[in-house]
Amino acid sequence: MPRGSKEKPSRKRAAKAKAAKRPAKRQGAKAKAPGAKKRPASVAARRAGLVVIALAFAGGLWTSHALLELDRIVVERFEGRRFSVPSRVYAAPIVIYPGADWQRLDLRGWLTRMGYREQSEAGPLGVGHYRWLPGRLRVHLRAFEHPQLPEPNRKVELRLEKGRVREMRDDRGRPVDVVSLEPEPISSFYGEGREQRDLVELANVPTHLTAAITAVEDRRFEEHHGIDPVRIAGAMLANLRAGGIRQGGSTLTQQLVKNFFLTPERTLTRKVKEALMALMVEARYGKDQILEAYLNEIYMGRRGSTSIHGVGEAARFFFGKRVADLEIDESAVLAAVIQSPNALSPHRHPERAKERRDLVLSLMEGQGRITAKQAKRARNRPISTAAIALESGQDRYFLDALAKQLPEVYDAPLLAVEGLRIYSTLDPTTQRAAVRALTEGLEGLEKRLGQKTNAAGEPQALQGCLLAMRPQTGEILALVGGRDYSRSQFNRCTMAHRQAGSAFKPIVYAAALSPGSGPLVTLASRIEDEPIAVETPDGLWEPRNYDDAFRGPVGVREALERSLNVPAARLGQLLGIGNVVQMAERLGVSSKLPDVPSLALGTAEVSPLELAVVYSTFANNGLRPTPRSFIGLLDDRGVGQEQWPLAGARRVLDPGTAYLTTSLLEGVVDRGTGAGIRARGLRGPIAGKTGTTDDEFDLWFVGFTPELVAVVWVGYDEPRAIGVPSSRGALPIWADFLTEVSGARVRGVFARPGGVERIEIDPETGARALAGCRLRKTEYFLEGTVPEETCPRGGSPGGGGFFRRLFGG
Amino acid sequence: MRPLALAVITCLLTVALGCAGGAPLPPGFSPSLRPLTASSALGRYDAARDGSLRLVIEGLDEDQSARPARALAKYQRAIRVDPTNPFAFLALARYHLEGNSVDEAGAFLDQARALFEAQGDLGPSVDVWGLGLRAGIDRARGRDERADALFDQARRLSPEIWGDERLAARELR
Repeated sequence: MPRGSKEKPSRKRAAKAKAAKRPAKRQGAKAKAPGAKKRPASVAARRAGLVVIALAFAGGLWTSHALLELDRIVVERFEGRRFSVPSRVYAAPIVIYPGADWQRLDLRGWLTRMGYREQSEAGPLGVGHYRWLPGRLRVHLRAFEHPQLPEPNRKVELRLEKGRVREMRDDRGRPVDVVSLEPEPISSFYGEGREQRDLVELANVPTHLTAAITAVEDRRFEEHHGIDPVRIAGAMLANLRAGGIRQGGSTLTQQLVKNFFLTPERTLTRKVKEALMALMVEARYGKDQILEAYLNEIYMGRRGSTSIHGVGEAARFFFGKRVADLEIDESAVLAAVIQSPNALSPHRHPERAKERRDLVLSLMEGQGRITAKQAKRARNRPISTAAIALESGQDRYFLDALAKQLPEVYDAPLLAVEGLRIYSTLDPTTQRAAVRALTEGLEGLEKRLGQKTNAAGEPQALQGCLLAMRPQTGEILALVGGRDYSRSQFNRCTMAHRQAGSAFKPIVYAAALSPGSGPLVTLASRIEDEPIAVETPDGLWEPRNYDDAFRGPVGVREALERSLNVPAARLGQLLGIGNVVQMAERLGVSSKLPDVPSLALGTAEVSPLELAVVYSTFANNGLRPTPRSFIGLLDDRGVGQEQWPLAGARRVLDPGTAYLTTSLLEGVVDRGTGAGIRARGLRGPIAGKTGTTDDEFDLWFVGFTPELVAVVWVGYDEPRAIGVPSSRGALPIWADFLTEVSGARVRGVFARPGGVERIEIDPETGARALAGCRLRKTEYFLEGTVPEETCPRGGSPGGGGFFRRLFGG
Repeated sequence: MRPLALAVITCLLTVALGCAGGAPLPPGFSPSLRPLTASSALGRYDAARDGSLRLVIEGLDEDQSARPARALAKYQRAIRVDPTNPFAFLALARYHLEGNSVDEAGAFLDQARALFEAQGDLGPSVDVWGLGLRAGIDRARGRDERADALFDQARRLSPEIWGDERLAARELR
């Protein structure tokens, strides 16, 4: 306990004791009155004096204590962390180059979202402005910070032709190879107040902005000591004349003090405190420090559910530019807004904002802060604002996932105040496609199937998740963990563990095809699709196919393409479930997998993120990437704090087996349960697998191209039948997503690695097809696993030998 | 007359072959081998690959100018543009080997090899990088016997480059 508070009770006790004695003395004094006429008066006066002194002393003590307390608050706030700045998360920069599809990259949308403004008037392009010309786009790109590669301001002209960037040149006409665009802010880790601000240093604030603010808010700012009696008197007079409160007498320092330390209530005590603290602030700190604090603190309006504080954020919000790049008229708008940010918002009330802006300009001119010419030019400019780019609530799922990947020191309270700039792997175009595909897909499904209710009759929303990953790097390009973040923050991409169903089967086939198992099968092998019964502690397990039919011996391809359960269960038994578990773990499953025969059919619960890694490993030639969602962060001054460089993917599967598995999964898309992908017009290298669990509780589609893996899961949070298989539930969402991201023609190839042979076989027997074999198809084999049997039976594999000899192989 | 004609024909053939081969040989290569460098790979695939390769080239220039952080960033950005560009991973392998992050170098080299292979580019013109870098990784891991054997193979392909057992950024450029 502080010393002061210990002393208080003793003083109180002493005062009480005094008070207790006082009446007795007075009575005594009255009794002695006749014999002492003059004494009582002098004693009383002396006593009264003592009381006054004591009271004055106590009052002084109390006042000193109160002042010291106020001073402590001022110092603590000014010299500690002055502002809570939520840490902001940025997407990865878009890179443009000659030949890039600028429409798919959404260059036009990027200009709008980033607050770039079209400049129609002739003359040099201002920073953050662009101009469309026939077949060309000229843009003056803003500088941006980045943990790895900051970029300066630069002017670029893009020649555009048939949806592509034909060539790029700088302002001197020199060719430019590659341009990285400023990363888009996605969202922020807000604190309770959901305040957003972008801290500025006074040195970077144009003088016309401070001039505009002081002109209208506190013209004698440089002269007064915190309170301005002249201004107060003037305000009182104006208010008396107006018959109500029309004008405030607060100085900038008082406004700062009010926002910094006090509540907005209008009481005399608060006003006194405000005045005292303003004096203290002025006594302790220089005008520059006070002005800088004010510029960062002042409330400037709202964007959705967040409030904009400070001129830095306001410059971005209203004009899409850094504060240093503001023009005089824009500075005047910011100064105008301060009085009543919502009523004077240039977005919502441009007329009112213009009226007040012109008043600010007149004041600036009248006070000699700008010339008449400057004022006239500024007054002639219309109010032109940047578009409001509202944050997508759905991006919050990604932020939550990112927060979990950040080092532990960056916990939620710190992220809410520290003003970090976190640079993520999110690709804005891919993310928008994911949000749209999932949202519209789920809405369409629900419309078709009707909304379900639970036992209590409450409606149950059909949920889903879509996650896209770069297979070579593990970078998460898009993540939408649910249908509506505002209603449910549960991230179904990373936190939900649901039965994988048939989407698990490729793991079993990879294990069976890999040299580690023998290999148990080749792509020419046939597996018995006959009833099978396995003893388990819970009784006999007898898997069945989706149609309850048994087909006898079926080819490996057909078994997976038709997602037959019995052959997969048989493979699981032949491999040993322990080996299936091992393969799943190697490929990227980290959930605990049960050692049960039904594992081969996907009864284990895994997260969509885990499946994304597994399929990335297939897509990446057997190299398993590490998922990553951020690449680095800067502190609030732009100084690099953390970097997370790209980590190399690890070899966990031989490239040959990865290729054979990929080839099987291509077959699923070309002919099997995933054929809906082709039916939707998507062409090029695509592989994937549907997954529908028993009773259609969970629908999956996991698919990939050479450069992208995407997982779609659809289901209810409280598991229940959906009523459609994954080919009609998850697959259409996946296809819509890929179409938007890649176009109808997917780039790249799934190329055959060395060590995999391409041989013609008889599809009925799996034997090597020689001349005279009636049926034949091409199949792939790991070296040394080419079938020895031939078609026609007994023929010599001389043909292959002949060609080998001919080409010296 | 005949020797002169032969000389002229030889000169013309040399010029013609040089033109057909595209980019000139980078410093350090024996004339017998035309290595596939980032620059000489330009124009062989599509626009995305070229955009990515140009970032790799910029990164190699940064590396050569002793700005490794910027180089790393450019390589990573190159992968964003085209994740199947083997040169971006090869440059990363070189970068990490120079920084003695041997495991990372090995992982990126595996990735580069897989991509080269998938694109049908494996052969001496690409092996020259892989062999030497693999040898460097083995050397850093203390597997000298294996490193010696691999460096021998790499030196046979390009004695100038691997004579000092190191790959300079400009050589890959």
